[in-house]
Amino acid sequence: MVDDATASYILATRKCFEDLRQVAAQIAGVLVLAEAGGKSATPEHPMLKAAAELLREAVDQVRSTPPTAAAHLHHEFLSQAGQSLALALAAAGRQIETTAILPPVREAYRYLGRASNALPGFPMVAFEQACCAVHVHS
Amino acid sequence: MNRYSIWVMEFAHVPGYHLSGLIYGAHNQGYRRLPYCYVVIKGEGQVAMVDVGYNFKAYGEVLANMYGVRNWHPPREVLAEAGFGPEDVTSVFITHAHFDHMGNIEDFPNATFYLQERELSKWVWAMSLERRFRWLMLGIDPGDILRAVDLARQGRLVCVNGDREAVLPGIDLHAAFDTHTWGSMWVTVSNGGAGNAWVFCGDLAYTMENLRGDDPEDPHYIPVGLATGSQVNLIMASEAMVKAAGGDVTHVVPPHEDRLKDMFPSRITGANLRITELALAPGQASLVR
Repeated sequence: MVDDATASYILATRKCFEDLRQVAAQIAGVLVLAEAGGKSATPEHPMLKAAAELLREAVDQVRSTPPTAAAHLHHEFLSQAGQSLALALAAAGRQIETTAILPPVREAYRYLGRASNALPGFPMVAFEQACCAVHVHS
Repeated sequence: MNRYSIWVMEFAHVPGYHLSGLIYGAHNQGYRRLPYCYVVIKGEGQVAMVDVGYNFKAYGEVLANMYGVRNWHPPREVLAEAGFGPEDVTSVFITHAHFDHMGNIEDFPNATFYLQERELSKWVWAMSLERRFRWLMLGIDPGDILRAVDLARQGRLVCVNGDREAVLPGIDLHAAFDTHTWGSMWVTVSNGGAGNAWVFCGDLAYTMENLRGDDPEDPHYIPVGLATGSQVNLIMASEAMVKAAGGDVTHVVPPHEDRLKDMFPSRITGANLRITELALAPGQASLVR
């Protein structure tokens, strides 16, 4: 059980978490394209611009949401994930070089995983579409 | 004489899965046990698999606690029943990119993975869309995308563009675009001799009802209850799969079908997991007798 203030924090940061998860996926997506030989995988790829915008919004929201004592670690993990993703995007803005971009994305993903474990309501995967989990609606 | 030994090996199950998730329109018609299985194909000096399941470390607790997935076991334990380990697997055919089909790729360090290029490119496209389109990303794990980057870097990810024949001797890959997912794929195994073809359909069919309806005397196709793409395309894919199996619908194998045990020899292991044996190559001991 979480207290009311922490429940409010969870509601306020759920979208931030999802957005950070999305940014990690977007950067990784460009890396997959690059590794698969896609010519569109350049620093100008529109998905990187979308990721930068999403990251800015998510980081602003995290900063403006003070954590409760129970949410302190979670808040820290989100902040760290945001910083790592900013590093990855900065590297991607110079050159699509997987060895430079992938480590901070991985680190961000680890922080998101820790955030996912720190409080309820922050799944790493949206399971509803997966065949094993659609019955959650039943 | 069979070219390959083929088994459907369970690694987890859901005790009661609602039928409307499995069969389009089957609302309020009850629940059914839903096994989670890989297909294992051994022969010609190869060990191949169709899909690899999901990673308990990443998702198992959530799935167990929230969604009722039970009795998950890792590939090392499951495959040990067949006398080999994940490192012996040489090829994996990923039917689609949902986490519960490709979430375990890290457990197979020597395998080459085959995935439709469209599945990958549409992932990336969906990721570029704004938040209100996020339904299109459901079931996709960003961690799998990171793992796919690693596979590609290691030269172990083969992006297939449409159908591909003879990816291994007698094994063909078939695209089913815009069906269950954007780039779903099914696998045929021509196992030696006429009328000895098998089709492994991933989630293009969950149950036999998807392939023959509920009246064996008057069969018809019913799509699965869950699709990103088109129900029409699902039905056409069903027709293509049944044709590829020489019209023998029992040779189109939905790995989620709990009643495979009524159609083929099987046994329950000490871990309470079912092994269903579809074919045995010469010299291969049965796993179920």
